[in-house]
Formats: sequence, C-alpha cells, structure tokens
Amino acid sequence: MEKKLNIALAGNMNVGKSVIFNSLTGLHQHIGNWPGKTVEKAEGTLHYKGYTIDVIDLPGIYSLSTFSIEELISRNYIAVEKPDLVINVVDASILERNLFFTLQLLELEIPLMMALNQVDLARKKGITINHRKLQKLLGIPVIPTIAVRDIGIHELMNEAIRIAEGKKKIKPLKVKYGKEVETRIKKIVKLLKGINIRYPTRYVTIKFLEGDKEIKKIVSKVNPKIVKIVEKYKKEIEHIHGHSCSTLIASEKYEVASKIVRKVQKVTPHKKPSLEDQLHAITTHKVWGYPIMFALLAVMFFTVFSFGDFFSTLLTNVFVEMTSAFEIIFGSGIASKLVFSIIEGLVAGITVILPYILPFYIILGILEDSGYLSRIAFLMDVAMHKIGLHGKAFIPMILGYGCNVPACLACRIMETQRERLIAIFVTTLVPCAAVTTIILGLVGRFVGIGWAFLLYVINLIIIFILGRVAFKFFPGEPVGLIMEMHSYKMPHIKTTAKRTWFRIKNFIYIALPLIIVSSFFIKFLEIANLLNPIANLMSPITVGWLGLPTIVGITLIFGILRKELTLVMLATLLGTTNFSLILTPVQMIVFSLVTMLYIPCIATIAALIKELGWKKALLISIFEIMFAIFVGGIMFRLLTLIS
Amino acid sequence: MNNPISLIDLKEGEKATIVSITGGAGVTQRLTDMGLTPGTEVTVIESAFFGPIEISVRGSKLAVGRGIAAKILVERK
Repeated sequence: MEKKLNIALAGNMNVGKSVIFNSLTGLHQHIGNWPGKTVEKAEGTLHYKGYTIDVIDLPGIYSLSTFSIEELISRNYIAVEKPDLVINVVDASILERNLFFTLQLLELEIPLMMALNQVDLARKKGITINHRKLQKLLGIPVIPTIAVRDIGIHELMNEAIRIAEGKKKIKPLKVKYGKEVETRIKKIVKLLKGINIRYPTRYVTIKFLEGDKEIKKIVSKVNPKIVKIVEKYKKEIEHIHGHSCSTLIASEKYEVASKIVRKVQKVTPHKKPSLEDQLHAITTHKVWGYPIMFALLAVMFFTVFSFGDFFSTLLTNVFVEMTSAFEIIFGSGIASKLVFSIIEGLVAGITVILPYILPFYIILGILEDSGYLSRIAFLMDVAMHKIGLHGKAFIPMILGYGCNVPACLACRIMETQRERLIAIFVTTLVPCAAVTTIILGLVGRFVGIGWAFLLYVINLIIIFILGRVAFKFFPGEPVGLIMEMHSYKMPHIKTTAKRTWFRIKNFIYIALPLIIVSSFFIKFLEIANLLNPIANLMSPITVGWLGLPTIVGITLIFGILRKELTLVMLATLLGTTNFSLILTPVQMIVFSLVTMLYIPCIATIAALIKELGWKKALLISIFEIMFAIFVGGIMFRLLTLIS
Repeated sequence: MNNPISLIDLKEGEKATIVSITGGAGVTQRLTDMGLTPGTEVTVIESAFFGPIEISVRGSKLAVGRGIAAKILVERK
C-alpha cells in the first residue's frame, strides 16, 4: 500500500518557508486560491523513502488570532484538516519573535516539529543557538537548516517520517500563564466540557479570554451563559493587571519565549556595523533614502524600456515578415484574415510580455527578495497615507507599471477589504508597459520627451487626487503601517524565478486569452464594416469634446481590449507611422492622456472581477471612462489656450 | 514614575520601555503579536519629523506608521 503523509509548513513572514517548500516539492506544485478567498494556496508533492508526501505552504503570519484572513485560514486548516505533521519554520536570527508563534502552535496540540532556518544569517549577526537545548525545552524535534543551500532538508524529512511512524515521541511544552489566568482557565475548561469545538479546549479557553471573535461566536451559539461568565473573568483579570486580557496573555507568552531564548541563545555583538546594517541605514535614511530610491527606480525603468523597445522592434519586424508569408500561403480572404487575427493577438501578447513585462518583473523580483521593496514601502508611507493607504500599497503600484493584472492581484498584501479596494483602484490608474509604449512612441517621439515625462507627473497627481477622493468615498479608519523590516539578503534565484513566473502566469492565463479573443473580435468588426459607424457615433465626444480626428474613436474602442493597440491601430488606419503628419502635438498629448486613464483594459477588468466582484469592477471601469473623457477635454482646451 | 511619552517623542538611538498601547483592539493585537508588549524594551533606529518610525524590538526591526507610533506609550530608559 502506498504510504501517504500530509505536512503543513507554518511560520512568520520571510523566514524561508517558501524556499523550503520549493526545495521539497520542486516543480510538483500547484498554486491556487483557498476556496472562496483571495489568499494564495501553495500545494506540492514529493516522494521520499516510499512516502508520497503532500506539502502545503501556509501563508506567512505572526499569530493565530483572527485579525487577518490568512491567520484564520491557517488556523482552520491546522485544526480541521489535521495534517499529519506541522513543520514550524523559524528564523534563527529572530528567535524570540518566532517562538511566540511556535508557542501558539503548541497550544493547538498538534504533531509539531521545527525547522530552525537561516542559522547562517544568525551566525552573521553573531547569534548562535543550541538547538538540542531548544529541542528539550520545547519538547519537539528541532532541525537546524539553511534552506537556500539545501542544508538540513533531508534531516527534516527523515525526522518527519520518524514522527509519522511513531518512532519519535513528542512531549510538547505546555505554556503556563500566571496564577490569575490559570485558575480562570481551569474554570472555563470545566464549563466547556462536552461542547465540541474544532479546537482543543484549552486553546479555545485561551483564545476566548483573548477576545477571539470566531470562538465567541461558536460558544455563544451553544451556550450564551458561558460567554457572560468569560466576560466577567476577563474583567477581573483586567482589573488585577491593568492591561487588556489579550495583551496580558500575549505578554506572558512572550515572557515564556524570552526565557527560552535566554537559555539557548548566545549573542556576540559585532564591534563594527556590518555591511548589511550600513546598507539598511542609508536606504531608509530620511534624506538620502529618497534620492537613492528614485535613482534606482529610474535606472530600472530606463533599462527595462530601452531594452524592451529594442527587443520589441525586433519582434515586430519578424512579425511583419510572418504576415506577408501568411498572406502568400493562405491568401487574404475573410477566413484567412480571421484565423490570422488569432495569431496576431498571440504575437501581440508576446511582444509585450517578453520585452517589457518579463525583464520588469525579474528586476522587481530581485529587489523584492533582497528586501529593498520593504524599504521603499517605508519611505513612501507618508505619501501613501495622504490617500488613506500605508507604505505597503506602493508595491502593487510599482508592479502596475509592468502590467495591471498581476498588480491588482498583488494588492492582497493590504490588510483589510477597504484598503484592498482603494489600492486596486489606484493601481488601475498606473500606466502599464503597453501605455508607456504609446506615450513614448507618440508624445515622446513627436512632441518631446519632456512632455512625455509631464504626462507621468500629471498621472501621479491624478492618482493622488483620485486616491484621496476614494479615501473619502469609502469611509473607515485607515490602517496604519506595521511592517517588519527584514534583513537584506542575497536573493535566492530559484525562489525569485518562481515568483516572477507566477506573476507572468497571471498575465498569460488571464490577459493573453482575452487578447487573442479580442483580436478576433476586432477583425470581425472590421470585416463587417462596423468600425466607421461606431467611430461616427462617438464623434461628439472624440471630435467635439476632445478635439481629435473622427477615426481616433475606433482606436479608443480597440484600446479597451488592448491598450497598445490604440497606437498600432492608429498607424494602420492613418496609413503611416509618422503621426506628426496627421496629428497636432496637442492631439497627441490629449490622445495619450485619454488612453492612459480611460479604462482598465479588458484583462484588468477580468482581474478586477476576480478580486472585487463584477459590481465594483463595473463601477471602476465606468468611472474611469467618464473621468478620462473629462480630463482629456480640459487638457485639450488648456493646451489650445497656451499654444 | 515619569509621565509616559509616546514613541514619536524619542530621538534616534534612544531606548525605552513600553508602558501601554492606547489604540483599538485590532492595532493593539497586531503590535503585541509583533512583540510590543508592556515592559518590552525598544530602541528607536530611525525617526524623522515625518514618516514612519523604525524601531528594534526583540531582535527584529519594525516600521511603524506615525499615527500608530503616537499611540504607543513608553518610558525613557
């Protein structure tokens, strides 16, 4: 019979959990969503010593309360699905804070072991940990690992199998609280006797005292009297200690963690600040941090877009050759045109992904893995606060300059629904790589690079203003920034590559099929001769209000499907790529501005529906169309006045 | 006992002990989860007249928004 084993990886953020997950499961991974939730679920399988081991990588969290969806998901998974073993991945360089989470896992009374990871990083900081002693104190197996170099991974699995086969007995530590708390825990445990809750009774009791909403709801359904008694106990404890019950319990848990750390950890502080420390100090510096950030981002954008421009021209030339070859072979009949439109869509998608989005996300992935993005979040916190968000929201915004689709999904790092909504809304206003090719190819080439730059500045101002409006429109207390600043480290190539791949995959799975379908659809409209009537229908807006040629209306429709198409179509419809012959500089600027803002493209709308539901997606789309037309018209009048 | 001051009143490099957190339950929970419990020693690493404050607590570095930092009451060491 096949032997099976279910293992869950749990731990704080950035402890190397996904590195361990990757080195265990390699390519046998499935990344999806938790059912009904917008939280990523990573599962994988490995075969080891006759076992088929299913590994699940739980989200990185600091606690098992119900503050965030991630915490609730992790807790429910561990308690309800009951994996055969939970491996708590711990950052050895921040042992105390990590142990706080370990102690909570212990309270869930589950088969548990620890991967004491990043022991090399700890050593660099002058921290050594006696893992045997730690193992004894916690009563669970502790294996030191350096996941980025695959050290300790075999030992980890061997030990896991030994536990599963019952060859290794675990006698986990029981966290004891102060007398005032313990006596009340005992009383509540008695009250809860016979009531079946998915968690262990002692755990339920502790969480109950901490004011856990889920537990309270479950118990009040069974016996509301108990809730009243617990509330009374809580008040008593709070009266004795002068702090809220949950703060007290956390304090005492940390006290236990701190005691353990004092017994197992030795620190020999360095005399000189390390290179990492110096790098950290300068990149978060209140003065120097900003120019460094802007310089780095500017270099990144410049590199990506000059490389992209070169490479995409190359691809386009190849494509032009292909077009004529296709026409020679299959003729230029209707059927052939329609078939070719599908290929065209595919190629168009590729000419955006390969030259622009891929390099952009590789560089960004390296910045993220090294820890620099959290420094950017730190520096941008003030600015983001003005639109009711905190510094972390800047990260999806930067992603948006590549492609809005993965950027919208990246807004999941925001803590609450409201924050997510505002962050997504703001992100859809960010000009993606496709829009940038329009701005550079039209305004940058024919009007001047200064004007192109100005459009970006205007865009930032608009983002700021609309962000503020959204902030007012969706009331609620803004969530402040609480973010761990992880140590700088060398990016782990495999993990970074994987993350980049998953972002690109979002584009390929959501955007590319829509691009192909829309190419087909456009070709159909063209063949059916419907384009001109539509353009004429739109002329009051395009000509009357925006001051653009009638024909431009068609390109704006195309842009809904794919933004970069507006420029491609413009060239096709006008019969030239020398746009200065047909459009005035004012028209080019107005056209680019409208394209920049007027709607999230169809792929982004799909991402919006996925993340927010179709109502909000529709609302955002309609708003942005009206807003773009409004701003475009004003810009037209303003520029005409000046010139 | 001195009157407690808030985290934003501290200068860079100063050490202090946490007295209490006056924020709502959610914020308090998150901060205590990160190790900011009463009695804990914190060191201010970076603090400007605007922007978030960076502190070191229990061996980790933490960025805390200004609004939240104002709700963390401490006592100078």
